[in-house]
Amino acid sequence: MRYGAAGALAAGLLGAPDLARAFAQGGGRRGGTLRAGLDADPPNLDPHRSTAAVDRQVYQSLYDKLVDTDADLKLVPMLVTSWSISPDGRTYTLKLRPGVQFHDGTPLNAQAVVYNFNRMRDPKFPSARKSEIAPVTEVVATDPVTVQIKLERPYSPLMYVLTDRAGMMVSPAAAEKDPLNFALHPVGSGPFSFVEKIPQDHITLKRNPNYWMKGLPYLDQVIFRPFADDNARVANLKSGDVDIINIVPAPQVKQLAQDSAKPAAPYRLSEHGAFQWQGIWLNVTKPPFDNKALRQALSATIDRNAIANVVLQGAAYPSYSFFPNGTPAYNPAWKIPLRNVGQAKERLQSGGHGSGFEFTLLTVQGQQAQAIAQAVQSMASDVGIQTKIQIIEFGQMLDVTDKLQHQAALLGWSGRPDPDFDIYPFVTQSGIGSFNDAGYTNPQVQTLLDAARVLQDMGQRRRAYDQVTQILADDMPYVWLYFPKEYKLFSTKVRGYVHVPDGMMRFHTVSLAS
Amino acid sequence: MSVAVGGALREAAPGRGAPRGARYFVRRFAQNRLATAGFVMFLVIVGLAVSAPWVAPVSPIKTDFTAYLQPSSMRHLFGTDELGRDVLSRVIFGARASLEAGIVSVAFAVAVGLPLGLAAGYYRGHLGDVLMRLTDAMLAFPPLILALAVAAVLGPGLGHAIIAIAVVLAPVFMRLTRAEVLQQREREYVEAVRAIGAWDRRIIWRHLLPNSLAPIVVQGSLNIAGAIITEATLSFLGLGTQPPTPSWGSMLNAAQQYLTQAPWLAFWPGIAIALTVFALNVAGDGLREIWDPRTR
Amino acid sequence: MIPVLFLVSVIIFALINLIPGDAARLFLGEEAPPEAVAALRHELGLDRPVYVQYLRWIGGMLHGDFGYSFKDHRPVLATVVEKIPVTGELTVASLLVGWAIAIPAGVIAAWRQRTVADYGASSAALAGLSIPNFWLGIMLIYLFAVHLRWLPASGWAPLTKDAVRNLRALIMPACVLGLALAAVVMRQLRSSMIEVLSADFVRTAKAKGLEGRVVVVRHALRNAVIPVITVMGIQMGTLLGGAVITETIFAVPGLGQLAVNSIYGRDYPMLEGVVLFSALAILLINLLVDIVYSLIDPRIKLAGGRS
Repeated sequence: MRYGAAGALAAGLLGAPDLARAFAQGGGRRGGTLRAGLDADPPNLDPHRSTAAVDRQVYQSLYDKLVDTDADLKLVPMLVTSWSISPDGRTYTLKLRPGVQFHDGTPLNAQAVVYNFNRMRDPKFPSARKSEIAPVTEVVATDPVTVQIKLERPYSPLMYVLTDRAGMMVSPAAAEKDPLNFALHPVGSGPFSFVEKIPQDHITLKRNPNYWMKGLPYLDQVIFRPFADDNARVANLKSGDVDIINIVPAPQVKQLAQDSAKPAAPYRLSEHGAFQWQGIWLNVTKPPFDNKALRQALSATIDRNAIANVVLQGAAYPSYSFFPNGTPAYNPAWKIPLRNVGQAKERLQSGGHGSGFEFTLLTVQGQQAQAIAQAVQSMASDVGIQTKIQIIEFGQMLDVTDKLQHQAALLGWSGRPDPDFDIYPFVTQSGIGSFNDAGYTNPQVQTLLDAARVLQDMGQRRRAYDQVTQILADDMPYVWLYFPKEYKLFSTKVRGYVHVPDGMMRFHTVSLAS
Repeated sequence: MSVAVGGALREAAPGRGAPRGARYFVRRFAQNRLATAGFVMFLVIVGLAVSAPWVAPVSPIKTDFTAYLQPSSMRHLFGTDELGRDVLSRVIFGARASLEAGIVSVAFAVAVGLPLGLAAGYYRGHLGDVLMRLTDAMLAFPPLILALAVAAVLGPGLGHAIIAIAVVLAPVFMRLTRAEVLQQREREYVEAVRAIGAWDRRIIWRHLLPNSLAPIVVQGSLNIAGAIITEATLSFLGLGTQPPTPSWGSMLNAAQQYLTQAPWLAFWPGIAIALTVFALNVAGDGLREIWDPRTR
Repeated sequence: MIPVLFLVSVIIFALINLIPGDAARLFLGEEAPPEAVAALRHELGLDRPVYVQYLRWIGGMLHGDFGYSFKDHRPVLATVVEKIPVTGELTVASLLVGWAIAIPAGVIAAWRQRTVADYGASSAALAGLSIPNFWLGIMLIYLFAVHLRWLPASGWAPLTKDAVRNLRALIMPACVLGLALAAVVMRQLRSSMIEVLSADFVRTAKAKGLEGRVVVVRHALRNAVIPVITVMGIQMGTLLGGAVITETIFAVPGLGQLAVNSIYGRDYPMLEGVVLFSALAILLINLLVDIVYSLIDPRIKLAGGRS
């Protein structure tokens, strides 16, 4: 996909394709309150400090982003109407949409954008976005609607990074008033503005009457409610107490799909692509997985189809790479190997442990993780590999894997629209505290991934990623297991919902039938 | 002052006298048919748990990906779970974890609470006061929160859950024992023994302890039931037994997800817990009736 | 009571700090760069020695400052106070359900001892004691909320804002908790009443020809209820600490849910605040019960003393 000036200009002129489609459906009824059920209570409403995935659900309604992704994961303009990249790839020029205001009336102009970037890059401000925009050296406003971003080296994932939290603009006036506690009184420019947040209970947003997408949003109010318990979340949707939920537990998918296919069903299960990856990190810095043959042996005992189709009952795709089905770097020609006990035994032999070995697999609490772990345990035991499952709590899991104290850990990633962030920090930058929970280093992989960051053409980048995947399939620092399918469950009263594979709920075009 | 313990009230007991013989006890107990039935049921459950490897049809951890989430059939009387494992076998083996948790945690709690309670009751003064303050503090915690916190500190695992439950129960037994001792202390025979010159340890060991035992045994039997439910709760929350070892609580935890598809996954472990607890409660009631003749 | 509260604070503080895992790391999640983690630890005061942290906490409390939640920086006191009415309402409703079932059942069972009514009620009570309440909760949700759609699965609204919603959402959790309470109270009431009914003074009253029912209600119940009050007090105290499992299953935003989330989320100040409040509630109620008990001691009421 080319991000060149011509293409960007064309995208800017046509406007967001999916919004046009939604409009064409005849608009929607004005009014109503949408109740959304989340899998957790969002801890932080400041996008520059947030680190929890669930926060982002609320941000889609509170904040606008510089650019957004459509239902096919293509970039579409949002606050930025067009952009161009210098030939050396180190200067991005963004043209802003004129006349946009924050909820408190502050104009969203180039100055505001510069302020936001400086806030994220400020060494004294504890922003979690710093590493995402690390190559940015300077951001300047060349005129009230033009921003220039200067990079120290080419960085092709940048535009996609700006479709997430790093591209969300907060009101400079509000942020200045109380920088550290901005999260308690968030001010953005999105279709809905903040009303109140009661912890563990609800977050209420109300319609922004001055929203720049004319005629939108349709809804008067959006209320987010946390339901940590999977059953409670689904039960609430089924009984009509919430209108849409973001995470559908895999074991219920089959039943819900059947139910929603019936003609008079009050709810609909929508499936659209995949975005996350899940598997097992193998710590290559200590035994037993410092031995490549043993890593390969473990991988060979796994029946990925059984995991996706039996344990998860079809709510996932079997995986053998870091790029889920439908994402830009996904390669449909890449074959997923079947379970091969013979090969596993042969690998064990050449690894010097013909009769098997023992290791501890860390997993988090949660029924799905435990079912997967037990399935792996059972499969591996067929060749003599004894798996000891240790359930630890999520905070501890992060801690232990950070310090590379584990042997194996069942841990995945929530996914990003640009393939770079789906792979780069996970197999490079090894060391205490990194995302690389295998402690894996490989200069070849490093070179290929660095090159992919510089290349602008997705076709070329994809070739680099293919090569890396082949290397990783041999080295096996991470045993890929599955890509969870992206589901949303919502009431049939909800109209105009566009299901984007990144899993984020966007309510701009949503209306409620009477 | 009366002592309120875990939902059951033990009034300060006036005269009980010397402990009666074992024969008398068995005869009285057998007269209560319900209690006897409960006790027998409990023994059966214990027996099943102990002989699980021989009684269970198949291994509880053997997966079968071709036969998952199947309802009751000839091959699998209670059906299969999400990984194709036989639910009946898992319920039988699950008895081990639950019973172990119930019995061992109460045993620990008594082992810690009883001597401390004896000491606090007999040696009044500073030691007693400090111990009682500590007991009060621990009893002021919402019990599940305390168990959760201790289990979180120790980490998941059946042994750790047992310790957590024991920590929550020990103050109960301590307070109970102390109340009994305070009661008995004032009685004439203690004065008499003292007058003879018998020293403290002897008094505690040969006189106070046997007389204080009765309410403890009753309370203990009731608490085993409570401990089983607490272990189930902790496993339900993810602490407790680790997979793939089955325990009734963790089976219930996993079963939540499949409630509409496979309700038998939740039904059988729930029934197992209910039956075991019921049996224990009924037997405990029977014990209480004998040792506390006023409550018939 | 103060020394006990002090001990409670020490215990919970010690326990929390013993829980493994780095709080700052957890808050920032899987995407956090190491500098951000270090900065947050400093901001939260986690890099100070443990006793300093404890003293800061206690010192703050003496000024009415119960600290700020690690998760969202709101004052702990504000959040706890917000949850109190919710847990309080659930407590009251559960107690009402429980007592409404238990008191008549206990009286009837004692009055008609060893009859079908007694055995029936006693067995029901035993069953109520034996059924794990989380199992019951889940079963009820699927029966009443999903299949019959008579009641909402959750959707708590404050009583003052939307009473209908509030009461509808209250029914199932109150029943789950109430049934378990009812079992305990009913058994206690029954045994206390049987004890009292067999006492001399009651036989004397009956012999004197007072109507049976009058005897039961006026004398026996009044005396038998004292130990039951103690039990009820314990239950009230425990419920005020938050019915953890029930609140989680029914998504009731009370103290129990807050406590569990704080344990898992390593929100130390919040957990400490909740525990202290719960402990205070339990201690106060115990005190109240002891006072009530000593005021109406049965030994004074019974004519003719005990046999």
